[in-house]
Amino acid sequence: MIQYTIQRVALALGIVFVAISALYGVMIALPGDPTSVLLGPRATPDMRALFREQMGLDDPLAVQILNFWGRVLSGDLGTDFFRNRPVAVAVMSALPHTVALVFGAIFWSATLGILLGAFSADRRNSLLDRVTGVISVAFIAAPSFVVALYSLLLFSVTLRWFPSIGAGEPGDLLSRIQHLVLPSLAIGLAWVGYVARIVRASMLEAMGESYIRTARAFGLPRRRVVYNYALRVAILPAVQVLGVGIGGMLSSAVFAEIVFSRPGIGTLIYTSVSDRNYPVVMGAMLVAIGFFVTCALIADLINAALDPRHRKTQ
Amino acid sequence: MPKTAMHRAFPVLNRRQLLAGAAGVSAAAMLPVKAWAQEGRLNIRVYTEPDDFDPVDASGFGEALLYGAIYRNLIQYESGDEWSYRLDLAESIEQTSDTTIEFTLKEGQMWSDGYGEITAEDVAFTFERILDPEMNSRILPDVGTLSRVEVTGRYSGVFHFDEAFAPFWWIALPYLAGTIVCKAAIEDAGGRITTEVPPTVSGPYRVRELRPGERWVLERNEDYTGDIPAEYERLDIVYIGDEASAEIALEAGDLDFTEVSPGSVTRLQSNPPAGTAMSMHPSLFYVWVGMNMEHPKLQDIRVRQALQYAINVNAIIEAAWYGVAEPSTGIIAPGLIGNRPESLIPPQGDPQRARELLAEAGVENLQVTLNVLNDVTFTTAAQVMQATMAQAGIQLNIEVHESGSFWTLGVEADGDRWRDLEMIMNRFSMLPDPSYATAWFVTEQIGDWNWERFSDEEFDRLHREAGTETDDARRDEMYRRAQDIMEESGAYRFITHGVTPNLFYNNTVPGTRPDGLPLAQYFRRA
Repeated sequence: MIQYTIQRVALALGIVFVAISALYGVMIALPGDPTSVLLGPRATPDMRALFREQMGLDDPLAVQILNFWGRVLSGDLGTDFFRNRPVAVAVMSALPHTVALVFGAIFWSATLGILLGAFSADRRNSLLDRVTGVISVAFIAAPSFVVALYSLLLFSVTLRWFPSIGAGEPGDLLSRIQHLVLPSLAIGLAWVGYVARIVRASMLEAMGESYIRTARAFGLPRRRVVYNYALRVAILPAVQVLGVGIGGMLSSAVFAEIVFSRPGIGTLIYTSVSDRNYPVVMGAMLVAIGFFVTCALIADLINAALDPRHRKTQ
Repeated sequence: MPKTAMHRAFPVLNRRQLLAGAAGVSAAAMLPVKAWAQEGRLNIRVYTEPDDFDPVDASGFGEALLYGAIYRNLIQYESGDEWSYRLDLAESIEQTSDTTIEFTLKEGQMWSDGYGEITAEDVAFTFERILDPEMNSRILPDVGTLSRVEVTGRYSGVFHFDEAFAPFWWIALPYLAGTIVCKAAIEDAGGRITTEVPPTVSGPYRVRELRPGERWVLERNEDYTGDIPAEYERLDIVYIGDEASAEIALEAGDLDFTEVSPGSVTRLQSNPPAGTAMSMHPSLFYVWVGMNMEHPKLQDIRVRQALQYAINVNAIIEAAWYGVAEPSTGIIAPGLIGNRPESLIPPQGDPQRARELLAEAGVENLQVTLNVLNDVTFTTAAQVMQATMAQAGIQLNIEVHESGSFWTLGVEADGDRWRDLEMIMNRFSMLPDPSYATAWFVTEQIGDWNWERFSDEEFDRLHREAGTETDDARRDEMYRRAQDIMEESGAYRFITHGVTPNLFYNNTVPGTRPDGLPLAQYFRRA
């Protein structure tokens, strides 16, 4: 297990390095000059030159990438020249909002998905199973932006149950949760469908296993056999899918943060790319990619810990 | 089943506990939002995020809205339908010669948080740090030919200019550059305000909290000594870039005031959300289609003029601005010095005349490329142009760019794309002085913001001289002539100034500039 962990961590670090370096290259290659965006139309050539020098934009690409990694290794993500603040401050003030959003989406996916899947498997081939199947597929098929817009119109505009914008009042947990419900639902709903289908299939497979038959033969109550034994095994694949799915949820978070006008890494990256605010883009991407790779790594390690066959097949 | 690692990885919850937990969280979250809404709170949307609290680094409207609430100027834009200003910190201020403006401050005007009285030293410090090359201020061009500020007493001083600079009254004193800062506080801060909240303010509101990417939370400034005290206990300046999201937020009751898109005007007028009202304001922005005069296809003036005649401005406005805007006659909006009563080429164009000009130039099957921003208004306008220009036998290709790419298309410092640039649909922001519009089209702006690469000696001279002319009638004449020259060059087809539709709740009386942009300090309860 230790060797496996070391291999996976090394691979994760390699992925982060390659992804960030490639992104840096792509970003610099894009047309668009940050000095024009930042300094505006009235900037003099001298002001632009000074700004380019401050941002290190006159250095060759390889030097810029090396400088970036040098700063990162010394714990410095650079400076946001647009707002005169360290990039780390910008990123760390946005990160908790995105993490909360992603985990909110996971909460919806896991609770609703597992419930629907287990319910469906427990009543296999019944009318309720079929209805649940249709609902699951509908959730998968519904685009996030449609869910977001309709949930806004229904729950914010018409019913006024939930706020439509923002992240809530700092220090007020209830306000934070209220502001999290709709955006996390918009991201998580499709995953509810996926998880439900996976849990259903896994449960049906588990319920055919000999230890389940044995448990039944010993006269244990059916519900206990289904929900205590079969479900515990059946949710393992769902955990793995959700671990890998965090990347997709992060992508959806960009969209959700814009639609719901929430602060977060997604909004930060979106506005920074438009502004060509390179230091912030790189700092935010480093954290976002790092977050994704870490979650996938943790999911991998959990699976390997729970199922030794998993690490042998790698 | 034996206890395995799985048991340690997942807390053991039975189904009832899980359901109860989920139901509890859901129920708590479904409590009505409005139960938490505070009385005396105003939420104004801003479409661009203010950068910071130091006016020397200010760059645009986001800061202007914020600074108007927390800082003061010698004079302020007045809220209303006509451009005017009112005395704020100044007891009196007047142009005493072409190159001097004398001011006297009101006595007893205070900084918050114990920073004392606002004096002429603060005024001088404010402008001198903008002039200081070390500060690298983004708003340096706004102060024009200002050379220094002389302090003649605790409350009085004189602005000295190298030569007359008429725009100072409209683009500097009541706007960003004229935002007076506290000398002692800035010096305490090490020369620049980089803190989460400014150490001291002078306006009716103070900063309670900054939430980057979301909102600026302001509250009543109890130390305010001016004559427009804060109406609300709390004022939130809410950043929402997307207009559609802002409309939904207002309908949901999370905003009290927002600009909406022209495309929503008809719907909102015929079916307004309960308790809301809409106001329409002529914008100062100017939209035009420019032609790169140096591009081989467009070097012949007859070809450029053919393109001018082939563009049907009325059709563009009907489709892209839903008929709620008016065709423009130039780059200077109605209500400002220099606005032309009409353009030389009629808004509807003339496809037949376009064909004749192309025939005279010996050009057949003309194909040109129009570059536009990836904004639905501009892409719609481009598609209308494509259809109407076909009537003149011109094939228009459309290239759409995201903002970071678009705004450097014609900038020489950002590569060679300017060489291939043929046509651009562009929109510039504007302040209430005509020099702010003509400044981008002088010869020295070629390669920076003059993407048409338009160069005319008379135009350059008019721009220069009108900036130092203090007689309004004479300035008016000069700027009109300048726009004639632009249009005669064939490089410009003026489209519109657009419109600013604002949606707000009836219990609010918005304070806005004549162009519809909000002035937070003037908002009142109905």
